[in-house]
Amino acid sequence: MSCTTCSTKTTTLADYASPNALTWCPGCGNFGIQVALKQALVALGVTPHQAMLCYDIGCNGNGSDKIGGYRFHGLHGRVIPLAAGIACANKNLTVVMEAGDGATFGEGINHLAHAVRANFNITFICHNNENYGLTKGQASATTRKDIPMNSSPDGVTSDPVHAQRFVLSLGVSFSARVFSGDIRGMNTIFQAAMKHPGFSFVEVLQNCPSYNKTTPHEWYQQRVYNVATEGYDPSDRAAALAAAEDVDEKIATGIIFQDPHSVPFMSRDAVRKDIPTELTQEVQQYDVSQFTAGMR
Amino acid sequence: MHIHNRFVVKVSGASGQGINSVGDTISKSLKESGLYSFGYREYPSLIKGGFASFQVDFSDQLLNSAAEHCDILLVLSVSAFTAYLPSVAPNGTVIHSVIGLQVSEQQQAILTEKNISLIFVPAQQLVKEAGGHPLMANTFLLGVLWKLLGLPSEPLLQVVRKQFEKKPDVIEPNIAMIEAGKAFEDAGLIPVELPFTLNSDLVDDIIIGGNQAIALGAVAGGVRAYYAYPMTPSSSILSYLASISHQTGMLVKQIEDEISVAQMTVGSSFAGTRAMCGTSGGGFDLMTETVSLAGMTETPFVCVVAQRPGPATGLPTWTNAADLLLAVFSGHGEYPKVVLAASDPSSCFTLTQVALNLSEEYQIPVILLTEKQIAESHFHLKDLPASIEISRGLVPESELGSLSNMDRYKNTESGVTPRWLPGQCAPTFDANSDEHLGDGSLTEDSGPSKEIFERRMRKHDTIAAALPEPELFGEEACDVLYVGWGSVKLTVLDAIQLYQQTGGSKKCSYLHYEYLFPLKTERLEALAQTAQKVVFVENNGTGQLAKLVRMESGFTPDHIVLKNEGRPFFVNEILSEIQREEN
Repeated sequence: MSCTTCSTKTTTLADYASPNALTWCPGCGNFGIQVALKQALVALGVTPHQAMLCYDIGCNGNGSDKIGGYRFHGLHGRVIPLAAGIACANKNLTVVMEAGDGATFGEGINHLAHAVRANFNITFICHNNENYGLTKGQASATTRKDIPMNSSPDGVTSDPVHAQRFVLSLGVSFSARVFSGDIRGMNTIFQAAMKHPGFSFVEVLQNCPSYNKTTPHEWYQQRVYNVATEGYDPSDRAAALAAAEDVDEKIATGIIFQDPHSVPFMSRDAVRKDIPTELTQEVQQYDVSQFTAGMR
Repeated sequence: MHIHNRFVVKVSGASGQGINSVGDTISKSLKESGLYSFGYREYPSLIKGGFASFQVDFSDQLLNSAAEHCDILLVLSVSAFTAYLPSVAPNGTVIHSVIGLQVSEQQQAILTEKNISLIFVPAQQLVKEAGGHPLMANTFLLGVLWKLLGLPSEPLLQVVRKQFEKKPDVIEPNIAMIEAGKAFEDAGLIPVELPFTLNSDLVDDIIIGGNQAIALGAVAGGVRAYYAYPMTPSSSILSYLASISHQTGMLVKQIEDEISVAQMTVGSSFAGTRAMCGTSGGGFDLMTETVSLAGMTETPFVCVVAQRPGPATGLPTWTNAADLLLAVFSGHGEYPKVVLAASDPSSCFTLTQVALNLSEEYQIPVILLTEKQIAESHFHLKDLPASIEISRGLVPESELGSLSNMDRYKNTESGVTPRWLPGQCAPTFDANSDEHLGDGSLTEDSGPSKEIFERRMRKHDTIAAALPEPELFGEEACDVLYVGWGSVKLTVLDAIQLYQQTGGSKKCSYLHYEYLFPLKTERLEALAQTAQKVVFVENNGTGQLAKLVRMESGFTPDHIVLKNEGRPFFVNEILSEIQREEN
């Protein structure tokens, strides 16, 4: 399903431009994330026709119609199985999904657990701004303890979910962490995630200028460092857990963990792994007489 | 034989005692002998214990329903004896293999009053004496049953040989057990004289359940991904498709919950393959937000809902048809959808393919209803109907170049818009769950919102115009017009035939709804003009089709026959209903 335009023309940022104006708050981390995503897609030569961008509900999802490429803006908490269904049906698409911390660790946390286990070949950009922005600043599962929020004025009493610990404990095949103020870093990480065969979890530490006063842009800027220093082995799961642990003082960013032997879902499936065609190319009438023969 | 031209054998025991396997062997052996049968299963929601049964009604004419009572009851456990003794017809026979069975006073009264013979077959001991394995007690009892039925042995032996094809060393021992069972003597064992004419043409027919037919409908209809979470009575669609996946190449995947099942189905379908999912009422509840999503983004979505009695967990392994209105009103907001209901394996096979076509042609969710009674009963069929042509309604590859940016959700007269797929070199768009313009861009403006809503809803009328009216069985001019949907058709048609064959004088016809939403009522209203009486028959507690008909047309039937106790309508019950109309 490729045309001459796709195969001969060089993809540029302009190909991902949208006539619609962005509607995020001034200073929102989403601007940088969207720029980095476009840059990464262009750098990998993914044309808008091959790009399948899936969005959850939330501030990030409001950007679904402000970028090029095929897009699906689904339901709250459900973007993971939606994107998984797309990725299974056509492996030629570059499937990227975006969701906030509310969808990922609240409404749809079960989907994350099982998608990690299945190792669907999808890149997941998790916008972690530690609150529900679009509904005006309620606590999410990643909001820090004792922080007063809209709907919990006396402070959150539950302990926060630690995103990296969560996915690493489930055996994720790729996990990274980046800061929304680091566009170059996000570009690099998004590319690595898209190239990874399997489920790539990318946690973006995203500032929310309107509702997250606890960890603003500057707070992260002062604390993040690149983990890819000499001697760090991203294929060491125990080291990854240790490196990712601190989210208060010295916060590791970069590729936290990558399984060099990752086998994505469709290559694990005994029936599908050796079939060269895609499910999308196989829709036709099939004769069932071999099956009714056994019922005679 | 307590019902005209129908003989009924029920095999009962504890769950886990191989009841289904015995029932299956009986059905196949009857077909092999040249007789038609209908196999009805009852079982509890547990793995070992309780009581389960497999009832085979058979005849030399086609049967698609069960009778309430049986002529022979085969009993393998105490609990089954207690549960099923009341289901034995007058002058019937009970054969049991329960050592030291205690017959209570009350049970003795039933035996005496109904003149039922109770015969003990010490199967375990006799199998041991004959050198068989304890597991072969069921086979021994089959031999006893076959002797009682007076049917030729060879068909039964054929079936047993085929059954153990992959374990050739157990074939001869099992056959020896059948022979030993046939040699069993008891004064009470008086062979039945069956009045049936054996038809050797039936040998090549098939015995199939509704779920298998749905699965094969999916295969024939080009489904390449089937997603499900186990839920009775839909689970065997999943397990059967998985068992044949190496031949079909279909991706068959059990998913963590029904929410993900529905979402993955929408995802795969959006990508451009044919995907399908299946569940029962409770699982479908979890899916309904996704049904709404499919409606809004105009993504094809097909879900099979195999009904069982609710609310909540209800009667998980039993039958009814009480989720029609759930299906019709599923999902928040207003959007077009189609609801179909199968009644037997043929319609399961065909309607699965129809559902796939409708979902793609109109870009809508389609819900296909079945019932436990359809899903898990064993039907005798000449063959499945011919497959229907696949119709996808996609923009042809050659026309992709002429598409413009706003075409995906543009305003059209029919409401149906051009659909193309991610990966194709064409204008990209946003399948947006927010209200949206032609290219999927979000809008919150009143004018466009109204226009887009009205455009989507126009598909409802377009679909309604394309769907058929309900099917009439019998003559247009009739005394009583019965109206129903789902498995009711099977019992009503069998009962009408029985009524006519036993000298019934009223002219009865049956109007059957397969296409339930958008609902067509023109034919019903026309027939009601001439029929003396219109009677709805529904296997639920409140008459959901009658309500839907009244909502859509204002029509009210003269009478509604309902049943909501986890059991299907039995043929004698509907016969009594028909006979009541004579008075």
